[in-house]
This record gives sequence, C-alpha cells and structure tokens, in this order.
Amino acid sequence: MSLVAEAFVSQIAAAEPWPENATLYQQLKGEQILVSDNAASLAVQAFLQMCNLPIKVVCRANAEYMSPSGKVPFIHVGNQVVSELGPIVQFVKAKGHSLSDGLDEVQKAEMKAYMELVNNMLLTAELYLQWCDEATVGEITHARYGSPYPWPLNHILAYQKQWEVKRKMKAIGWGNKTLDQVLEDVDQCCQALSQRLGTQPYFFNKQPTELDALVFGHLYTILTTQLTNDELSEKVKNYSNLLAFCRRIEQHYFEDRGKGSSSIKSS
Amino acid sequence: MAAPLELSCWGGGWGLPSVHSESLVVMAYAKFSGAPLKVNVIDKTWRGSRGDVPILTTEDNIVSQPAKILNFLRKQKYNADYELSAKQGADTLAYIALIEEKLLPAVLHTFWVESDNYFSVTKPWFASRIPFPLSLILPGRISKGALNRILLTRGEPPLYHLREVEAQIYRDAKECLNLLSNRLGTSQFFFGDTPSTLDAYVFGFLAPLYKVRFPKVQLQEHLKQLSNLCRFCDDILNSYFRLSLGVDHFLLKVNHRYLLSPC
Repeated sequence: MSLVAEAFVSQIAAAEPWPENATLYQQLKGEQILVSDNAASLAVQAFLQMCNLPIKVVCRANAEYMSPSGKVPFIHVGNQVVSELGPIVQFVKAKGHSLSDGLDEVQKAEMKAYMELVNNMLLTAELYLQWCDEATVGEITHARYGSPYPWPLNHILAYQKQWEVKRKMKAIGWGNKTLDQVLEDVDQCCQALSQRLGTQPYFFNKQPTELDALVFGHLYTILTTQLTNDELSEKVKNYSNLLAFCRRIEQHYFEDRGKGSSSIKSS
Repeated sequence: MAAPLELSCWGGGWGLPSVHSESLVVMAYAKFSGAPLKVNVIDKTWRGSRGDVPILTTEDNIVSQPAKILNFLRKQKYNADYELSAKQGADTLAYIALIEEKLLPAVLHTFWVESDNYFSVTKPWFASRIPFPLSLILPGRISKGALNRILLTRGEPPLYHLREVEAQIYRDAKECLNLLSNRLGTSQFFFGDTPSTLDAYVFGFLAPLYKVRFPKVQLQEHLKQLSNLCRFCDDILNSYFRLSLGVDHFLLKVNHRYLLSPC
C-alpha cells in the first residue's frame, strides 16, 4: 500500500471503536489447517486477547482466498479487512490499543528484531517441514490442504502450493538444506528465545507484547501438533522456560476466558 | 590450528576491501577475531570458482556462505563473541534476522535490480573482474536471482506491481536502518567496546551502501543522515582495514596529481 493509502486507512480505522462482532477467519480447524497457518492464527488470537478485544473465530475452507493478501488469518472489523499479524497490530494501534507503547526505542528495535527472527527461522522451518519434507507432505500436508475440495482439484491445489513454497525456499537459500540442518536452525532459534526470556514471565518483563503473542502462537502449535516425526516438538521441549511461558499464556488468556485450548491433532 | 585459511571473495573499491556484502562480513569477522586469513581476490583469470563466493578453503574443507564460515572460524577458536552474555548472543541472532529480512531486499535492489545503478556501476564492475565469456552471463544471472528473491519474498498480493514492491522494501529498509541506529546509540560497537559478529554483519551490509557511488541513491541518502552508523563504518574501516585503505588512497592521490598536472 502506498503511504497515502495507509494513512487513509488509519484515519478510517481510528474513527470507529472496536465493534462487538469482529471476526477472525481461518481455515477449517479439524481437517484443513496446517501448522504454519494455525500458528499465525493463534498468534493473532493471543494478541487480541492480550489487548482485551473480543473476537469470534470463524472457520472457512476458502479463507486463504478471501484474505486480501492471500495469507491467513484475517480479521473483519466494521467494514475493513486486515490480514497478517503485522498489519493487524498497526490497525489495532490506530484504534487506540497497543501493547508496546511502554517500550523505549531500543526495546522496540529488539522486539522487531526478535519477531523477524521467529518469522525467519521458525515460520520458514514450519513451511519447510510441511512442504519440502517428503514424508510429511505425503502423509499429512497433501491430504489436509486439499480436503475440502473434490478430486482432482484437491491434488492440483496441493501441488501448486507445494511448487510455490519450494520456489520460495530455493530463492532464500533453504532449498538445499537437509531436515537435520533445519532442525538445528530451529534449535538455535529456540535457544535464542529461551536466553532472551530468561526467568521473566514475558519477553519485556511484566507486560506481554506482540512478540509474546507471536512466539506463543508458533511454539504452542509446534508442541500440540502431531506430525510424522516428533523432532520439531522435541527441540522446543528442551527449553523448560519456553514450555512454562506457553502454559502461562494459555492459562491466562485462553482457559480463563472459557475458550478451550486450540490444539489440533492430525491423524 | 595453523592450517592456512584462504578466502576467495570479490575485490574492493571506493575505499572498501570488498564491495560484496557477504565477503565483507567474513573479512570483518576475521579481522575482529584475529583469524589469519589469506584473501584471494577474484580476478579475470580462470583460477577458482565464482559461484558461491565467499568461500573459505583450508587443507581439508571448503566452506561457503557467511554463516557457515563464521561457525567454522569459531570452531577453530577464532571467536569474536567470547565476551558476550547469553542474552547478547540471542540479540545477535535476532538482529541478523532483522537485517536479512528488512535490509537485504533493498540492498539487493540498489545493487542489482535498479537499472541505472546496475548498468552503470554494478555490471561493469563485476564484468571487469570475470573472464570472458563468463562476464556476459554471470552478472545477468546474479541480477535475475536478486529480482527473483525480492519478488518471491515480498511481491505477494496486494502488491502486484514491482514499483509498489520497491516502495515497500525501501520503506522497510529505512525503518531497519533507523532501528539499528537507535540500538547503536552513541556506543562504539553494538555490544560494548569490542566488535562482535553483529558488528561484522552490520558493517558488511552497510559499508557498500555507504561508500559505493551510485546514480540512484535514495537509501544511501537516508543512511548518510544516520551519523552514528556512518561513524561506525568509518571507525571500522580506519581501525581494521587501514593498510589496504592506505594503498588505495595513495594510488588515488598519485592518479589525481597526474591528471591535474598540465602537460
């Protein structure tokens, strides 16, 4: 979006308060959604819970195509549609709610850097595992991704998506990585997050920020999804403070409000 | 431990030991950690490979890609991060991810995709250091690879046109530069008084942007306004690369005088 368009959207956003009927769209939870999309959706849900903004989760098979940027999740608020955590954080900020206002410039830089680390390593590793690891692709991903569609559309869409993701992996230099190297990268990332978190309750001490929401989304999804091999979740389980962190956010923001935990199991 | 370490990388210009970001990262880290590196600059001979530069060769190993080379040097006990705390080590990884996600697309664009810059500066420079007929093919291939990377990682809807993608990546790069400037503040290096891996990465990506003379310079102009980052680059150039800088400077002065003297 150009600068003018962005400013315009912010103006509109700022004009109205958060409505009661805001909805978040993602793919079907039980049969269709994949690890990376579920992580993103959970991150947004956690962020909105932390801001105390009510949101209803609606599952639609074509959520990916409804989204303005092609990525899930997206939220429908008033008459605006915003997708992905970054723009949603901006949008919510324009409405006057923000989790990172209390941070100084250096901390904000750190927060952005760590969010990029999670996107760079964890998200890319999840995409690699889902789409480039033959075992997972064959057993889980293809079946899940195309499940709402009839034959042959389910195969065509799955192969198309796989081709797209493989192209992207090759462009950023992950095309030649083996699964072990990817798992090592995940381990490095988790180690960095664990060292940064230390013994604090949240990354920036007492108050959660969008970084906490993002990390929670990814780690929780990794921990609660059953894939063909458990190595990814084993890597995360090595770090006890990260496990405690996930449990804490789950208790505070999800169980207390009467929602069930959003774990998904794939057969 | 005393095995000769040879690095093959692209050469320098405009006061820099190398104009290639990744090569510069490795050279800077080697200087910071005290690794004795023999630098083989790629030239017009057919010796050595040009593909995956920078490449580190020892007696038994060939290592490519900056991250792997730095890991290898650390295993050989050349560690510039010795004094960092665990949290600072984690911060290093995070800031490197930030640079790769936000700054790298715009740097690639400035060097390889922006047509004025590419055709008047980058392509001639690289082509003059690659033997014919590879000089006709390789720069074009690198340029296409850069454009591909930018479009695949950033060119998703609703940004359909390359111009909109360009606007977005330059905006992200400027924000990233601001964040780095805020983080650096008035310190000499990012973590205290000794340079570390993060300093090597920041120097590697910023110095070419800072020094190379381009026709289209919007990112460079923005960088020049962040005086602490410019000071950071100049400090490292003066302290760690002074010898090579001195030679270049001397040659420049000689040429200059020769050109000016009336004949």
